[in-house]
Amino acid sequence: MTRWRRLAPLAALGVVGCLASKGDVELLQTNMQSGFKAARDASAQAEAAQRANMDRVLSQISRETDSVRVLSVRLAKLQSDMQNDHYEMGRQLLQIQELTGQSQRRIQELRASLEDRAQSANAATPPDSAHPAPTGPGPGQLFQSSLDQLRRGSTSTARSGFEELLRTYPTYDDAPEAMVYIAETYAAERNQAAADSVYGLVIKQYPKSPKAATALYKQGLSFKAAGRPAAARDAFNRILREFPRSDEAVLAQGQLRALGR
Amino acid sequence: MSTMTSRRALLALLCIASPLGAQDTTHAVRIGLTYDPGTKPGVVVLPSKGLGADSIRSIVQRDLDFGDRVSVMALEAGAASDASRANVPNWQMLARLGAAAAVQITSTAAGLHLAVYNVATRQTALIRDFPAPAMSEMRAWRAAVHGLSDELQESITGSRGTARTRVLFERTRRIWVVDSDGEQLASLTESGTAGSPAWHPGGGMITYSLLVPSQIVVQDLSNGRARTLASGNGVFISPVYLPDGSGVVYGHGVDDGVDLFTIALAGGSGRRLSVGRGSDNVQPTFSPDGRRIAFTSGRAGHPEIYTMDADGTNVDLLTPLEFGENAYRASPDWSPDGRSVAFQSRIGGIFQIMTIGLRDRALKQLTSDGQNEEPSWAPDGRHLVFVSNRSGVKQLWVLDVESGRTRQLTRGAAVRNPAWSPRLSSN
Repeated sequence: MTRWRRLAPLAALGVVGCLASKGDVELLQTNMQSGFKAARDASAQAEAAQRANMDRVLSQISRETDSVRVLSVRLAKLQSDMQNDHYEMGRQLLQIQELTGQSQRRIQELRASLEDRAQSANAATPPDSAHPAPTGPGPGQLFQSSLDQLRRGSTSTARSGFEELLRTYPTYDDAPEAMVYIAETYAAERNQAAADSVYGLVIKQYPKSPKAATALYKQGLSFKAAGRPAAARDAFNRILREFPRSDEAVLAQGQLRALGR
Repeated sequence: MSTMTSRRALLALLCIASPLGAQDTTHAVRIGLTYDPGTKPGVVVLPSKGLGADSIRSIVQRDLDFGDRVSVMALEAGAASDASRANVPNWQMLARLGAAAAVQITSTAAGLHLAVYNVATRQTALIRDFPAPAMSEMRAWRAAVHGLSDELQESITGSRGTARTRVLFERTRRIWVVDSDGEQLASLTESGTAGSPAWHPGGGMITYSLLVPSQIVVQDLSNGRARTLASGNGVFISPVYLPDGSGVVYGHGVDDGVDLFTIALAGGSGRRLSVGRGSDNVQPTFSPDGRRIAFTSGRAGHPEIYTMDADGTNVDLLTPLEFGENAYRASPDWSPDGRSVAFQSRIGGIFQIMTIGLRDRALKQLTSDGQNEEPSWAPDGRHLVFVSNRSGVKQLWVLDVESGRTRQLTRGAAVRNPAWSPRLSSN
């Protein structure tokens, strides 16, 4: 529309140009000049308005971008904080896990130490025939001293101690571990048949104990070394079935891969 | 007189003579001697005779001194000559000095002739001949003299010396070896990316890791021939030989953590030993009976020392972990007597060498001067070699854990990862 409006005077000039006198032409020129000026002014106004509008939009976008940037920084910081918290929680969980194991061992050592002291105290007090003091070492003492003997290489002494422990205190918490150590004494003496037999007892008597997984793995290794791959596979597969989250399960997977499943 | 009888006679003599010896702070129990804390028998090494006499005498004197079990009585040249005149020890003078024993070494055509004299009874306590190559074969000749020193120390104290041992270490990404007295330094690998060396139990081979491309290498020291034992994707680090020498245990990881694996020397694929579940499990060291492994693991969130059965079961945290602490305990080495593990522990931001008892878990800090790392036991279970920056540059130092006495083993560019050899018979 605007373009047609601008071209109208030119068209009129074309039509009347042939018929108009000199005065008419001058008048027409004056009219055209004022028409052009008005059109230019209107265009400049429109452009200024458009520019102002654009500036407003750009300013708005800039403000929004800043907000997004701030949000993004905050989000990144939040993510980083969460990751750190997550890592720290994981680290603390791992430490708690390790401490639990350490505490159990410490409790075992403490128990042995307490039994030592109790025994010394009993020996120092005169005997009371009505309430006779328990004689002989306690389960903690027996466990600790037998383990010390095993670590020292005195396998038969260690075995006697663990056997006495199981005989005297069959319900002791660490009975499965004591039995594994009995098997270890045989293994150290290169009596693998006896060791395997005791590992079998651990699996049979304490099927839910984590030590059953250890016994199964050691038995599997023994079968493998003895050239009995099928028996070894059975033992390793049983670990995967019954103790899938144990360390022994990870080790058994490797063994099964080597054996070709 | 037979060798055994002579040895017994000498030991009996030293039981009586030891209080006369030079005083020392050692608290060692000398096998074969009545325990007498705080004393070391005084020994005079008489001037040697024959080719290379002075060298032999100084090597033996130094070996005995480094053994920290006898007090070597150094005499001035004149006094030394007076102490041995006309092939007969000057008993009066030796007794006056407080010497328990005198030693004379003669270089012969066949090798070395050793005579040990009992100063108290004025008798010859031990005569032995040692084969030795010509002096021109310097390394082998020195090894023969070191072997004599070790036997001499055993005859006097009942405990064999470690003079005939060597120490592997890493310098400028190459593997080097040096005799236990700091002599005969030699490079064993070409320039490259070699690290974490370890000895074969027989002393004739070594294993180490290469960084680029990552792999485990075994090398025969008799001919220098090396071959790749384990390689592939991921990282291969910190190898050690199995106690029977039939294979190697090493750290291997691809994406998530590093675990311990074992592989036979004959080759094949590695079998997993540790289950680190994303943590780093490295630096294995075997108990002397080969049934347990101590290693560094980050499974608690930071490095601690763990033990496990050699088949990977029965994992147990060895070092004391306190909740919330950010300790750093690493580089374990199981002592030859099996009773303790040496390791490095960060104390106040600085690494120090410590030991932990296997039975009572008692901790003992052995160093405090500068930063001290990466301990490795000598086969006598009394000395440790470790890396220390106490001289300004990381160098190898040797510590006598009984007396606390230290000596610097290497000089020059910085070193790391020492590994003390077993007792060596040849090579």
